[in-house]
Amino acid sequence: MPFLWILIALIIIASVAFVLGRQRAVQSAGGDSRKLHSLPGFYGWNTAIGAMVPSIAILAGWMIAQPIIVNMSIAPMITSVEASDSATLGLVLSNVTNVSEGLDAAIAAGAITDNEVAALNAETDNIKGLLSQVGKVVGSDITPEILDAARASRNMNATGTLFKTIVVLAAAIAGGAFALTKIRPDLWARNQVESFVRYVLITAASIAILTTIGIVLSLIFNTVKFFGMYSATDFFFGLNWLPRFQGESDLGILPLMWGTVYISIIALLVAVPIGLFAAIYLSEYASKGVRAVAKPALEVLAGIPTIVYGLFALLTVGPLLKSAFGDGGVLGVQWMGSADAAMTAGLVMGIMLIPFVSSLSDDIINAVPQAMRDGSYGLGATKSETIKQVVLPAALPGIVGAVLLAASRAIGETMIVVLGAGAAAQLSLNPFDAMTTVTTRIVAQLTGDTDFASATALVAFALGMTLFVVTLGLNILALYIVRKYREQYE
Amino acid sequence: MTDASANNSASGKSSLLVQDARTRNRNAVEARFKWYGITAIAIGCAFLILLVTAIAFNGSRAFRQTFVTVPVTLDAAAIEAAEASMMKTSQYRKMIEAALLTEVSEANIETDMDAGKLGDMLSSSAPAQMRDFVLANPDRIGDTVSFDFLTSSRVDGYLKGRVTRESLANDKNLDAAHLDLVDQMRDIGMVEKRFNIDFIIGSDASEERPEQAGMGVSILGSLFMMFVVLFLSLPIGVAASIYLEEFAPKSRWTDLIEVNISNLAAVPSIVFGILGVAVFIQIGHLPKSAPLVGGLVLTLMTLPTIIISTRAALKAVPPSIREAALGVGASKMQSVFHHVLPLAMPGILTGTIIGLAQALGETAPLLLIGMVGFIATNYPTGPIDGFLSPNSAMPAQIYEWAKRADPAYYERAWGGIIILLVFLLAMNVIAVILRRRFERRW
Amino acid sequence: MNDMRLIDRAVDMKDIKFSARNVQVYYGTTHAIKDVNVDIADKTVTAFIGPSGCGKSTFLRSLNRMNDTIDICRVEGDILLDGEDIYDKRVDPVQLRAKVGMVFQKPNPFPKSIYDNIAYGPRIHGLAKNKTDLDEIVESSLKRAALWNEVKDRLDAPGTGLSGGQQQRLCIARAVATQPEVLLMDEPCSALDPIATAQVEELIDELRSNFSVVIVTHSMQQAARVSQKTAFFHLGNLVEYGETGQIFTNPVDPRTESYISGRIG
Repeated sequence: MPFLWILIALIIIASVAFVLGRQRAVQSAGGDSRKLHSLPGFYGWNTAIGAMVPSIAILAGWMIAQPIIVNMSIAPMITSVEASDSATLGLVLSNVTNVSEGLDAAIAAGAITDNEVAALNAETDNIKGLLSQVGKVVGSDITPEILDAARASRNMNATGTLFKTIVVLAAAIAGGAFALTKIRPDLWARNQVESFVRYVLITAASIAILTTIGIVLSLIFNTVKFFGMYSATDFFFGLNWLPRFQGESDLGILPLMWGTVYISIIALLVAVPIGLFAAIYLSEYASKGVRAVAKPALEVLAGIPTIVYGLFALLTVGPLLKSAFGDGGVLGVQWMGSADAAMTAGLVMGIMLIPFVSSLSDDIINAVPQAMRDGSYGLGATKSETIKQVVLPAALPGIVGAVLLAASRAIGETMIVVLGAGAAAQLSLNPFDAMTTVTTRIVAQLTGDTDFASATALVAFALGMTLFVVTLGLNILALYIVRKYREQYE
Repeated sequence: MTDASANNSASGKSSLLVQDARTRNRNAVEARFKWYGITAIAIGCAFLILLVTAIAFNGSRAFRQTFVTVPVTLDAAAIEAAEASMMKTSQYRKMIEAALLTEVSEANIETDMDAGKLGDMLSSSAPAQMRDFVLANPDRIGDTVSFDFLTSSRVDGYLKGRVTRESLANDKNLDAAHLDLVDQMRDIGMVEKRFNIDFIIGSDASEERPEQAGMGVSILGSLFMMFVVLFLSLPIGVAASIYLEEFAPKSRWTDLIEVNISNLAAVPSIVFGILGVAVFIQIGHLPKSAPLVGGLVLTLMTLPTIIISTRAALKAVPPSIREAALGVGASKMQSVFHHVLPLAMPGILTGTIIGLAQALGETAPLLLIGMVGFIATNYPTGPIDGFLSPNSAMPAQIYEWAKRADPAYYERAWGGIIILLVFLLAMNVIAVILRRRFERRW
Repeated sequence: MNDMRLIDRAVDMKDIKFSARNVQVYYGTTHAIKDVNVDIADKTVTAFIGPSGCGKSTFLRSLNRMNDTIDICRVEGDILLDGEDIYDKRVDPVQLRAKVGMVFQKPNPFPKSIYDNIAYGPRIHGLAKNKTDLDEIVESSLKRAALWNEVKDRLDAPGTGLSGGQQQRLCIARAVATQPEVLLMDEPCSALDPIATAQVEELIDELRSNFSVVIVTHSMQQAARVSQKTAFFHLGNLVEYGETGQIFTNPVDPRTESYISGRIG
């Protein structure tokens, strides 16, 4: 673990820098720390920061740059691929990386020695078998060319790591020493440390943005790759979903969208009336006692993980519905073929969304000023008249926002549909038919050993992109509506 | 008289003590409306009760397992022969089967089955269990040791009412005759259901032996993930909140961060899974299925929640505290770290625990980073191995079981849910206690 | 404005509309109204004055059972409207409030059009047989609230878009439209500027011809200007009740005198 060792070495250097910085500060003030601008500890911190910051920056930069440089310099070794075909080249390069990492792992596991690696022959030795022993599965064949490239990449990486260690540690010592020479009694050490802390805080806050950028980039990058292999028109307007690993797949999103929207609508039909009426009852009618029991009970529904709802759909609600609507059921109809159905998933998702809708609506209804209700009661209106004709119209924008948020939840929900909705991508009108959704297909395409180069795996990113754009749009719209609504009563 | 009072008398100089027809009507509407509300609440509560009942009813059975007690003589010669052979477990199996047959006939239970067929009612884990015992206690060789072996999941299912004689018609291992035997063996106490600690601390088992599968390894997997989430999301979340709440100037950049956080909180969890696959596995080359990767993904997912609750906790500290610190000459940074942060800590911890609880139950991103589809049988050997080697996690394990073909696994999935919910409940209780204990009214 | 007039303003004794006997109001354990006895005359403006927290608004709200909406509030004693106990079990507060309308401290128009604001009461109480009827009620109510000329061209505009004074007059028109017998006003001018206040006061004086009006006010000048009878509340007690002129010029109780002369309040 050279990386871990570098970190430990850095921490030791920083600790030494702290102690030296502190001592030097006290010395520079002639032993009277009251003559210093800041507390002695700040001088210590200042020196430690001087040692850590440049070295860690170099370390991070190096770790990003090294694989890129190695890849660039071994790319010319891959002669079997046309230089213009960058997608295939990337594939081969990732194979090379895999092989070299596998060789490293094999050496670490003691399955092979350094010298034996140099003597390996791709044509005669079973390198794949060797690598799979140490848990590294390589997809394609290992040609002599790839093996040579892998050896070269190992050598370069070893040299790179050696230099990295030297440079980083040197930078740490130099930085600490430089900071040490700067120490004077009138140095504003506290302010320098504080402005550093401030930058740390800003960095932490920016992680939210980095996450978003990460999501968007990883989706876009792979989606573009996917559209390089499969026509975007066929994807967005195709009526068939038939992925085949051998190729020639039909990857039309429409049946998935249909299933997603259908199930979400069922869920909202369950959740919105129940959630809304529950919220109305709790905020306008319920006595303290009822509120104290019913509100937490509904909140418990919100705290249950979705995997539980998924299992509930698969094993309880599905069979229950089938015994009513299926073949030989109590209703004597044959609408339902299997327990997996849009209805099963939609119903359970509706249950999951009840507390979501009710607590949002509760907030929104409570935001309607009491004066509005008093005005209505003062005219002799009953409670229900007041609610229907004054409170709800006033709260309508907020409630619309809440429903949109619930819809975005329903569209993005995964576990319930994975377990409850089935896998058949079909454009059916029957709510008791099995349907499939965008999220279930993302799971199906990306679970297992993913080969990031085939259209059947990459389509998951295009699906994810679609999902992200749709839910983001709904969220932004909903949050905007809700915020406008709140401002109105503030 | 003016027209207004004329109208009054027209609409009835009516007595207040008598309800007119219109009021009666309106009150009927009122009552109906109120009933809609009560019905909605009742439906919500009914769903909750149905859910809890389904979990309790189906899941509690997973904690009890059927065992058969068989005294086996550890014959030194036989064991030596078994250890020397290629198929060690099958040799042990023969010993157990013979012992079982002897035991059955000694109990005066009539059967025409041979030892091998009789042994089908045992779990295929029995030989390994015996061998482990022998290897651990070589001094016991020669003694007769009474073993409690797991029965096969069919026998267990029969005692739990899941398996019937009819449903065994097409079963290749067990038939109705076995069940007749089981009935008799149960009557004399040779076969009985008892609490099975291995369900909680044991590891997952292969598709064919659901009776042996346990949650232990995946609980550890979840634990390692939660370590990652806690040690990343708490400091980052607190740092981000402090910046946004105490230092951030009103600027475009700040607005952008705020909008980002509220949107991230509503991004579907599966999208975070995609991010994890692309960034940590595809680009970062971190090991698939590793709790470290799971923890990183869940950290990104939990951060918005923690930031939102931490900011609320910071906001609840009154400005007078900050002013007091600034007033004695502390820097802004000192006032925050010496005064505001410690006062907000209970609120921050409460929010963090609730965020962790959310992360603990999250499944979808774990599916994408590969925490399913394999059998999590290996306990991590140490902390580094725990973070880096492939493992499952509680919700992923439950999903895995729910997807397996044998219905015996459904029972275990429900049981796994009980364990998961116990963890969640405990975390929420801690959060509530923290809030009660340290809640401050300003 | 016309303070000089109140001395010689004659108040002829009219029918008694409300009569309260030994009324006690409790908020939880707080005894907010203590043993109040008062008779409120028809076709008269009665003012409730007193320092803040003295219970005048509480008492006003118990006259149309608006206090019912507060869980912890409890009313004891008898309040009779035309001789009928409004706290009788058989009385539906909804029906009561149709007879005893209310205007609140802050203008609270519904987030609907001006027309719908006025039509709200008549609609729920079924006062109009058809659209023409309703139009007439809206027009006459707005006219009576002296708002018609200002809004007749924009009845579809939202009521919340009016100015504060207009909004309060809209609320008065809204209350008048249900054709109540009594109109309760809880500091109707406290959120208004002087000009709007003058308009509303003028309106109150006109309303006297049709309704019994009870107004809670903080301003003694306002009580003197608009009311014929005045009740002075202090710490939950009804201290003094009588002709407005007499209360302001020759109070009997020393507490009233202190309040009027500005020593308590």
